[in-house]
Amino acid sequence: MNNLSIRNKLYIGFGSIVAIILLLLIMAYNNFASLTDANRWDKHTMEVLLELDRVNNATLDIQVDARGYMLTGDESMIGSERENAEKMKQSLTKVIQLTADNAQQNERLKRTQALLLGWVNDNIRGLIEKRRALGDSKGAADALGQSAELRQGGAVVNSARQLLEQAASEERRLLAERSASAVELHASQNQLLIGGGLAVIVLSLLIAYTLGRAILGPLGNLTAALARLGSGERTARIAVTSADELGKVSADFNNMAQQLQDATQRELELTNQLRAKVDALLEVVSRAASGDMTGKISVTGADAIGQLGEGLQRMFDNLRQLLTNVQKAGIQVTTSATEIAASAKQQEATGVEQAQTSVEVLSTTKEISSNTSQLLKTMEDATAVADYTTSATSEAQGNLRRMDQTMQNMVNATDSINAKLAALSEKASNINSVLTTITKVADQTNILSLNAAIEAEKAGEAGRGFSVVATEIRRLADQTSVSTWDIEQMLKEMQSAVSASVMGMDKFSEEIRRSVGEVRQVTDQLSGVMDQVQKLAPQFDAVLQGMQAQAVGAQQISETMMQLNDATQQTVESLKATSEAVHQLQYAAGDLQSSVSTFAVNA
Amino acid sequence: MKVLVFHIGADRYGLPLRQVQRVLPLLELKGIPLAPDSVAGLMNLHGDPMPVIDLSRISGGAPSRRHFDTRIVVADYTSPEGAVHALGLMAERVQGVQDVSPQDLAPSGVQAAPFLGRVAGDAKGMVQLVEVNQLLPAELRGRLFPAEAAAG
Repeated sequence: MNNLSIRNKLYIGFGSIVAIILLLLIMAYNNFASLTDANRWDKHTMEVLLELDRVNNATLDIQVDARGYMLTGDESMIGSERENAEKMKQSLTKVIQLTADNAQQNERLKRTQALLLGWVNDNIRGLIEKRRALGDSKGAADALGQSAELRQGGAVVNSARQLLEQAASEERRLLAERSASAVELHASQNQLLIGGGLAVIVLSLLIAYTLGRAILGPLGNLTAALARLGSGERTARIAVTSADELGKVSADFNNMAQQLQDATQRELELTNQLRAKVDALLEVVSRAASGDMTGKISVTGADAIGQLGEGLQRMFDNLRQLLTNVQKAGIQVTTSATEIAASAKQQEATGVEQAQTSVEVLSTTKEISSNTSQLLKTMEDATAVADYTTSATSEAQGNLRRMDQTMQNMVNATDSINAKLAALSEKASNINSVLTTITKVADQTNILSLNAAIEAEKAGEAGRGFSVVATEIRRLADQTSVSTWDIEQMLKEMQSAVSASVMGMDKFSEEIRRSVGEVRQVTDQLSGVMDQVQKLAPQFDAVLQGMQAQAVGAQQISETMMQLNDATQQTVESLKATSEAVHQLQYAAGDLQSSVSTFAVNA
Repeated sequence: MKVLVFHIGADRYGLPLRQVQRVLPLLELKGIPLAPDSVAGLMNLHGDPMPVIDLSRISGGAPSRRHFDTRIVVADYTSPEGAVHALGLMAERVQGVQDVSPQDLAPSGVQAAPFLGRVAGDAKGMVQLVEVNQLLPAELRGRLFPAEAAAG
């Protein structure tokens, strides 16, 4: 069923419905044919009955006509006798024709025909002829009425009527039988129509439901999958359950969805790659924005992003180079600014110093100029002092000569002290040799005491006292050794003191000798001084004149110094301004450097 | 028992006075070429040559220093054959005679040089006795007293 195409499904479904309806129609048609047949037979029976009634009526009419004629003799009475007999004959022929299919009835009716034809032709005609023969004579009617012919005729008619009645009843029986079968057919027709209709309805519904399911199910799946795909679910697929057009459509839809998903996946991958590259670029750019210029851009390639990355890398390289240069320049500027500041400071200090110096010079100059007059006075005093100095110097010369004499005496005394110290040293050496002897003796004594102790031990009990003596001797010898050692130490100290004294005395006498020489030199110089002092007096006049000139010069110097001082002040001011500017330059350079140093350029 | 106290290095040792003939100052000794290190030299004892053993050296130490209290002790050496020889012993810091009671002496417990004997303790430390007769090893004895060795 699933492997059928929708067209075949539709054909099969509607075809089966049409077949069922056709079957139903054929069955209904058959039933209707049966019913029509039954009706025809009913009508046939009715015709037979009608013709039988006509036969009967014609018979009765003939009887009535015959009786009326016989009674009255009126010819008009039998005027229609021939006509009625003809009717009866026709009806009998027709009914025999009609009952040709029923042998029993046919035979019965043929007998009736024979009876009735005989009756009409023989009986009735005979009677009529008789009556006519009688004419208007009295009793004619009675005579005829009493005739045997009439009675015989009556019996024939009665038997004919009985036969007719039998045939009629037979026909009625058949009619009833057929009516019953027609009713039965009717019921079966109804049943067939109801049951067949119901079956058609049920089957149609079933087929419609199956078809609907077979078509609408996959369509629903397809619609749902399309809706899911439309709402963005890329993995939406349809389970292919049939091989029909819808199955194909589902498979095609799956292919389409798969291609769509693949395309989306590729697009996503491309987007991710792009995003990764852009992220890498962005990271480097962010780091660069925060000052870290060391980021390397790894994005390369011939596409737009690659070119962008390479362009950025070149830009970063250039920026890094620029920053490095700026940093170097900043450092150089800072260094230069610092150096300039230092030299400006130095210059400023020098300027200040210069200013101070000039102020000092100025005050000194002023002092000089003010002191010059004082100096003039002082110079006069100095002249007097020079005179006094001359006399004092000659006196000093005499004193120095005496001092020279004293020094000479001192040298002599020092020499004698030296000689005495040498004698002391010799004595000490003598003491030392004596001490050596004492030490030797003490040593000998020690050995002696030991040997004495040994001897005493060998002497046993007899040597006990001697042993004590030997011990004492040994103690004495030890004490002697110790004392000798002490004396030796003292003597060594004394000797070293003496030799130090000798050296000191030598130095002292040397000093004295040098002093004597110096004193002589001083004396000579004093003589020179005296000569000079005596030459001073005329020079003082020259000095006085020089002093006056100096006062004037000092005044000029003072004025010049004032000007210099002003200039120096200005220089200092400008130097301060320069220093300030250099400071600002330094700050600016520092700012530049710190700004630039926020950029890391070396990895 | 009286012992003559001397030093080997920093330690005190005692020679029994019975075996000591006399104590002599440190004299000039005649050197003996090719003699063992422990033989300090020969000295003239009243015309007789006498070998002098350096006690510091024979104990395995440095040669005795020539201080004023470094002495030559003339001891009686009794050889295993019974002959008695005068033997010079050079000793450092010969301090004097000390009385050691025999009950203070105890075995040293350490078997070291064969001539070292029992020890006695006192306030200044321990004194170990030196057995003169055990001083010379057989080889040295043979060298010092060859006549006796030949006779023996």
